[in-house]
Amino acid sequence: MLSTGLRIACACAASALALTACSSSSSSGGGSGGKTLKVAYVKFGNEIQVDAHMQKVKAQFEAAHPGVTVKLDPIAAAENDYYTKIDLMMGSGSTAPDVVYEDTFLINSDIKAGYLAPLDSYLASWSDWSQFPDTAKSAARGIDGKTYGVPMGTDTRALYYNKAMLTKAGVAMPWQPKSWQDVLAAAKAVKATSPGVTPLNVYAGKPDGEGSTMQGFEMLLYGTKDTLYDSASKKWTAPSKGFTDSLQFLKDAYSGGLTLPPQTELDPNIPNVVSGQMLPQGKLAIDLDGSWVTGTWGTSGAKPWPQWNTVIGEAAMPTQDGSGKGTISMSGGWTLSVTAKSKNKDLGAQFVELALNKENSASYDIADSQIAVRNDVAADPSYQSTNPTTAFFTGLVPVTQYRPAYAEYPKISDAIQVAMEAVITGQSSPADAMKAYTATLKGIVGSDNVAAGAS
Amino acid sequence: MAGMGIDTPRRRAAGLVCTGILVLIAAAFLAPLVWLVLSCFDSSAQTSVKLPEHPSVDNFRAVMTTDLAWRPLWNGLLLCGGSALITVVVATLAAYPLSRYQSRFRKPFLYTVLFATGLPITAIMVPVYGLFVRLQLIDSMPATAVFLATTSLPFAIWLIKGFIDNVPINLEEASWVDGATPMVALRHIVVPLIAPGMSVVLIFTFIQAWGNFFVPFILLQSPEKLPASVTVFTFFGQYGAVAYGQLAAYSVLYSMPVVVLYLIVSRAMGGAFRFAGAAKG
Amino acid sequence: MAARAQLVGEELAGAAGRTTSPRRARGARTTRHLPLAPALIMLFLFFLGPVLWSVYSSFTNAALTGDGAQNPQWVGLENFRRLFSDPNVTNGIWLTVVFVLGSAVIGQNLLGLTIALLMRGRSRWLRGTVGGIVVSAWVLPEVVSALIWYAFLGQHGTLNQIMKAFGMSGQDWLYSSPMLAVIIANVWRGTAFSMLVYNAALDDVPADVQEAAELDGATGWRRLWNVILPLIRPSIVTNLMLITLQTLSVFTLIYVMTAGGPGFASSTLPVLMYQQAFKFSEVGYGTAISLLLLVIGAVFSFIYVRVLKPEA
Repeated sequence: MLSTGLRIACACAASALALTACSSSSSSGGGSGGKTLKVAYVKFGNEIQVDAHMQKVKAQFEAAHPGVTVKLDPIAAAENDYYTKIDLMMGSGSTAPDVVYEDTFLINSDIKAGYLAPLDSYLASWSDWSQFPDTAKSAARGIDGKTYGVPMGTDTRALYYNKAMLTKAGVAMPWQPKSWQDVLAAAKAVKATSPGVTPLNVYAGKPDGEGSTMQGFEMLLYGTKDTLYDSASKKWTAPSKGFTDSLQFLKDAYSGGLTLPPQTELDPNIPNVVSGQMLPQGKLAIDLDGSWVTGTWGTSGAKPWPQWNTVIGEAAMPTQDGSGKGTISMSGGWTLSVTAKSKNKDLGAQFVELALNKENSASYDIADSQIAVRNDVAADPSYQSTNPTTAFFTGLVPVTQYRPAYAEYPKISDAIQVAMEAVITGQSSPADAMKAYTATLKGIVGSDNVAAGAS
Repeated sequence: MAGMGIDTPRRRAAGLVCTGILVLIAAAFLAPLVWLVLSCFDSSAQTSVKLPEHPSVDNFRAVMTTDLAWRPLWNGLLLCGGSALITVVVATLAAYPLSRYQSRFRKPFLYTVLFATGLPITAIMVPVYGLFVRLQLIDSMPATAVFLATTSLPFAIWLIKGFIDNVPINLEEASWVDGATPMVALRHIVVPLIAPGMSVVLIFTFIQAWGNFFVPFILLQSPEKLPASVTVFTFFGQYGAVAYGQLAAYSVLYSMPVVVLYLIVSRAMGGAFRFAGAAKG
Repeated sequence: MAARAQLVGEELAGAAGRTTSPRRARGARTTRHLPLAPALIMLFLFFLGPVLWSVYSSFTNAALTGDGAQNPQWVGLENFRRLFSDPNVTNGIWLTVVFVLGSAVIGQNLLGLTIALLMRGRSRWLRGTVGGIVVSAWVLPEVVSALIWYAFLGQHGTLNQIMKAFGMSGQDWLYSSPMLAVIIANVWRGTAFSMLVYNAALDDVPADVQEAAELDGATGWRRLWNVILPLIRPSIVTNLMLITLQTLSVFTLIYVMTAGGPGFASSTLPVLMYQQAFKFSEVGYGTAISLLLLVIGAVFSFIYVRVLKPEA
């Protein structure tokens, strides 16, 4: 019995060796032929604008570079699967795309993994780069100080509200709450005056993923005196009063019947239901959401709703008690990057520069309801006039905050979602959820890298 | 059928009870399917069951395009049909010596391989991707089919070995006396007898591969090579919400090849059963 | 020719007695195992190779991105230490065992056997219809089944509508009893396989034995227990083993229906594995979790082989 087992083990080892041998001999071959440029990006569900943009740029690029073929690789998958796929692709020279569409949420991990090529030498001679403000330039900057991506646009977050319902609830128009209490008070008034309507939507819980963390939790937390990460001391913050207070806000909203019932909120499809059904059908009064939502309602959007601007108004999210700058927003966004294993880095960089020149940035930002990062696009009247909310959301840029998108951030984001979910379902009190989060956080980054909040 | 001997009132009552229970079970199995059938004819379908207000084939019209339906379905047929055939042939070849000859390797081999099937395939996809890159097999449909076949081999070998174990050895002995080699005996005597079992394995393998999203998603690259199990995700979150009506219509289309395959195979299974009965006398 | 005749003679002797002759020629032994070659090549290359690599990577901090992607480090038993100190993993082990026991061992296995037994002696038409309906649940792609059950058990789903029609108040089953929901869905999806296996097995039971054991009151039950079940014991063991291993790695069904939630209430090991390996890109830790599935599968198989002794 033992000898048989041994023999099998030997056979397995031999085959593994054979594989390794095989690999070292053949890895030099293959790869994209001399003049083919591969571009990988996501094309899933509502995300159809990137595909349209890439097709347009492909035509322009091929016209400008005779003999070069641009091969588009639209990856049809939800975000986790998209990342799995591009990480695998970028790990190998023969499959790595030349240009890749990267979320600023995860770009630091990919920089750390050595998947991306620094673009500084190209950007130095690209006159357009001066049009990008410093915050935008820093979105794809690695710890080594080099830049690994050019932002396509950004997003900000705020409150959408149904003007008629809030008017009916006795709220003065245009609405601009001064504190969290104002938001809850307006929701309570709607509950009293418009039965059958969900007064307030704040994303929470694991099924919505990063959407819960950013649109839901961080929009609250960054309006307190605490944040997730203290960049001065380079430590993650927990426990903190701001964190507990943010959870308490969720508890008040959910247990007060101001929101969707938790079981409906925990449907992974809820963001689409909110923008595609609840707001257009007048079933939701106040929605804490992203600047891209109105893109769904435009003529080229997925759910055209021509009269939305007369029905829906926008208000900046107030800080907890109106202190600080008074309002708050959070920003993310996507970049185009060139991969480290690309054999056509020059062409790749040229493709990125073409894809994000003034005209192309403008047309993409308009089509995808992105907040422009280029100063010249932001100032362009055609950009400002396409969507009535553009000026409003671009105006939030001075108060906006960016996530501490370090390599550990995805896990920390998940821990936040767990805390939110425990609170809205009533499984934990905000204090207990805070304790659990602190423990998880110490497990992720190590106790040495965690410090209690100042307030 | 064989069991029906003398018909007593008591036995007839028992038969009625059996029929009643079977009908209840069938109804329970049918209930969840009602939503799927109703929704595919309702362009405004949601997750609740309702008769379509304006029954139409709009959903089908919307999804029956080359990019969304036909090419992915065809790719799926090539990929999964190929892998199912490879599995059945290779597994039958392997199961025969495992069933007929003793060997010290047999049990450890069978158990090692079998336990490995308890691993989710997703767990090994990262090394498999690396392997495919090194062998330059990424984006190759035949290689993907062979990989899918490999993942269902352990299962298939076990099942088919079980079926062969049940074939009495004396039938083969007769042919050996006539000078046939074991392979000839396998083909002419054993295979016809285990055909029902082989068809169970065939359709099982096909179904496994047909529903597999992750393997083709990781190993294939060109959009024009992707099978239906990948494109089905197009309907999640499109048009502001899940397009339930279109998704239901697509699901029906997507399930059709498997249902048709089952019908074809089950007819063959019936025929083989009759043959088996005759052979056993 | 002579060599071939000798080979055939040996096969005959060996196969008839099903024992190995110690004096067998080495060449013949190799030849007769030759049909195993394609399977062995495929399994070693595409299956055992990657599995061994996975086992190796569970001792490293291999990741898809970040530090672990560039140069994975050997971390020894660190992943396993993390694993056993993670309450979600402990919880996941139990949920996985409950899922396998509930949906495979009890659900699919017993229901499949029951249907196969009830079908004995029924009309061809009834067998065909019932079998066809049960099989149609099986042939649907997993993601479609998951969606069907999501729609059936959801808040506005069919089940609640039926209950409302009978004056009962419904609930969101996926939220209130997620494990029960995924277990039932998996029974629905997988029963056909057991049914087909038992149909085939019962076909091999001689007709007179069957007749004597028609469900016929107490004696019928006893005969079922004492005569029929022992006869189909090998099929029972094979079926249990296969559906257990199959059910252990069920992922899509659970992920689409509940995403492992609410909280971790339906986060079985495959769901946790997916989360660690692909959401957090920690391949090493993810494979460590999936190795637990191997252990659980081995324990189940050991029990089946010991208790039911297939080759006795």
